[in-house]
Amino acid sequence: MSSSLTARRSPGSRVSSPAARGSRDSVTRNNLSGWGFAAPFLAFFLVFLVWPIVYGIYMSLTGKSLTGANDSLIGFANYAEAFVDADMWRSLGNTLYFTVISTVPLVLVALVMAALLNVGLPAQWLWRLSYFAPYLLASTVVSLFFTWMYNPQLGLINDALSKIGIPKIAWLNDPNVAMWAIVIATLWWTVGFNFLLYLAAMQNIPAQHYEAASLDGAGAWRQLFSITLPQLVPTTVMIVLLQVLASLKIFDQVYQMTAGGPGGSTRPVVQYIFETGFTGYRLGYSAAISYIFFGLIVLVSAIQFVITRRRSA
Amino acid sequence: MKQFDFFAGKELSRRHLLSGTAAIGSLLAAATLSGCGGNASAAAPRDIQFWHLLSGGDGIKMQALISKANEGNPGFKVHPTVLAWGPPYYTKLAMASAGGRPPQLAIMHASRVPGYAPGGLIDPWDLDLLSENGVTADSFAPRIWDKSQQNGKVFSIALDSHPFIMFYNTDVARKAGVLAGNGQLQEVKSPQEFITMAKEMQKVTQAHGLSFGYLGSGSQMWRLFYTLYKQHGADMELTPGQPMKVDRDAAIESLEFMASLFDDTIAAKSGDISTGIAEFARGGSGMLFSGVWELPTMKKAGLPVDAATIPTLYGTAAAYADSHSFVLPRQLNVDDAKRRDVYKFVSDILKGSLSWAEAGHIPAYQPVVQSQAYKDLKPQAHYANAADVIAYDPQSWFSGSGSDWQTYFAENVQNVLLGRDKATDGWAAFEKRTNTLLSRPNPV
Repeated sequence: MSSSLTARRSPGSRVSSPAARGSRDSVTRNNLSGWGFAAPFLAFFLVFLVWPIVYGIYMSLTGKSLTGANDSLIGFANYAEAFVDADMWRSLGNTLYFTVISTVPLVLVALVMAALLNVGLPAQWLWRLSYFAPYLLASTVVSLFFTWMYNPQLGLINDALSKIGIPKIAWLNDPNVAMWAIVIATLWWTVGFNFLLYLAAMQNIPAQHYEAASLDGAGAWRQLFSITLPQLVPTTVMIVLLQVLASLKIFDQVYQMTAGGPGGSTRPVVQYIFETGFTGYRLGYSAAISYIFFGLIVLVSAIQFVITRRRSA
Repeated sequence: MKQFDFFAGKELSRRHLLSGTAAIGSLLAAATLSGCGGNASAAAPRDIQFWHLLSGGDGIKMQALISKANEGNPGFKVHPTVLAWGPPYYTKLAMASAGGRPPQLAIMHASRVPGYAPGGLIDPWDLDLLSENGVTADSFAPRIWDKSQQNGKVFSIALDSHPFIMFYNTDVARKAGVLAGNGQLQEVKSPQEFITMAKEMQKVTQAHGLSFGYLGSGSQMWRLFYTLYKQHGADMELTPGQPMKVDRDAAIESLEFMASLFDDTIAAKSGDISTGIAEFARGGSGMLFSGVWELPTMKKAGLPVDAATIPTLYGTAAAYADSHSFVLPRQLNVDDAKRRDVYKFVSDILKGSLSWAEAGHIPAYQPVVQSQAYKDLKPQAHYANAADVIAYDPQSWFSGSGSDWQTYFAENVQNVLLGRDKATDGWAAFEKRTNTLLSRPNPV
């Protein structure tokens, strides 16, 4: 760095060609040191991201098995099989269904919680703690809590419902209810993160806006719809993006609460990938499904990217 | 090491490097030790890694057996690693074997061996070495010994058989008037007789006659279903590339009978395993269908409990069962001394399996089963006959205890048991799912 500075300060650097060459040298040197700083990260990036992606694509074109049998190239046979595999499509559908029905409440509830807190409730720290604390728990702990609470015979929730005259619900054993039960658990568990993002964004809105609005006679609702929500648009876009990606990756809590049941109604595609690859031994086929899923994630991200770019343009 | 062939070219050098490092390390250690004038390295016991999936009461019993074997054999020390039952265990074992770093010894369910032996993940047992340690084919009941073989080679050595049986509450049974003269449950020979008996018990408990938790558990549903199915004298065959061979009528009749039990009188409509066990343990029912491994729980509950095989309702005595079996995960380089230790260790455990029987299991080692001490164990002796009628899962790479196949069974028949689907539809869907698996490439 110091040599490049010296080079730049050398007299005549504005006109003479040797000096111009000198600055090109310094750029090269800058580049080199830049690469040097980036090298550790790049090494990890190549070894743990790029190489597995490349190797995974290769694997998806083979009949590779966990037991080592048959690892010859079979072209696109795995992809062809996946496209007509009803279970793959069903699990993909379950993942999308979960993403849709979980993203909406996870964003809206976080917004409402942050708005409530932002109006200045007393004991702010207590609210913040109780909204965010579940996020710190491990998925196993959360799953265990909710499995017990959802127990049809002994569970806390059915017990409470029966006291107000609502018949018992087979939370995790009714195909029509199970996914919602998982959404409720996920909402309780992870909404705190979105809540924090919203709260931070709300607290960054300049107080003068509200002062000016109230001088003009705007009430609380008017201020909410004309100042707060419009100011939160960039945050909302980011939260929705992060939430969609997080929801698409759903696996832990489903695996632990229903193992994909009842009747496969909650099995997400990540679990199907796990089952075909690790308990079904078919690594090649499993890799093919994961690339189909990867393609879907890229597609969703691209759509979101286009939408956000249009908005900011 | 085919499956991780990005290492293929480097495998040797990496291994050499590691063994080289180890050699330098041991040289240094030897130098240090000789410097002290000691000869400790010669006396150090060889370390044997042993993986199993036995937790709870089973885990405690197994730990006691291991400690006893270690004390009796100063030449080796067995280090157990306990992993969670089901897919986590089998996945890790397969990956460790495929990656060339498995333990020297592991426990598997006998029904899972067909998914491991053909792919070379486990090694066959050497019958000569076994007999040197006093274990031969005669040491096992014929069904169990047959199950230990794949293509004429012995791939697993059974520690036990653990059938699906019926526990009953003797107090409830006496009050219901369904005990026979010998103090054991009266014999029933048809579904109707069984239902009548369960209803008599229900009158006593005022809750249910039978406890059977099954919701969300493919294993539980499969255990009872397969017991009833095999009682029809029917067979089931899974051959890759062919549709499954099955007696459809027997399957549907079994499912319909199961569904008829869950009417909230004979048995609770919606109970999972834990609620079923809890209900029976607090006297809320007269009978419980469960595995033998539940015996310690019942004894601990202080229940007046006896047990028997599940009554023969369709003419042929049969009980779903599996065996905890010892297997030899394939080593890249077999250490002969350690292998010999493993044989000695396994034979010690088999010979000491009376204490394993206390956990409810039926020992596989016949000298123990025939001993007076075992015959004195009650109620174990009352269901010891199950070993003669046990039925293992139909053989294939995807079936067996804790397999996805049992999960698929649950996916298709749970709604039948809940009265939402017809048995014919549920069965047809499961058969279709199975046929899909059979039509796919066989990965082992």
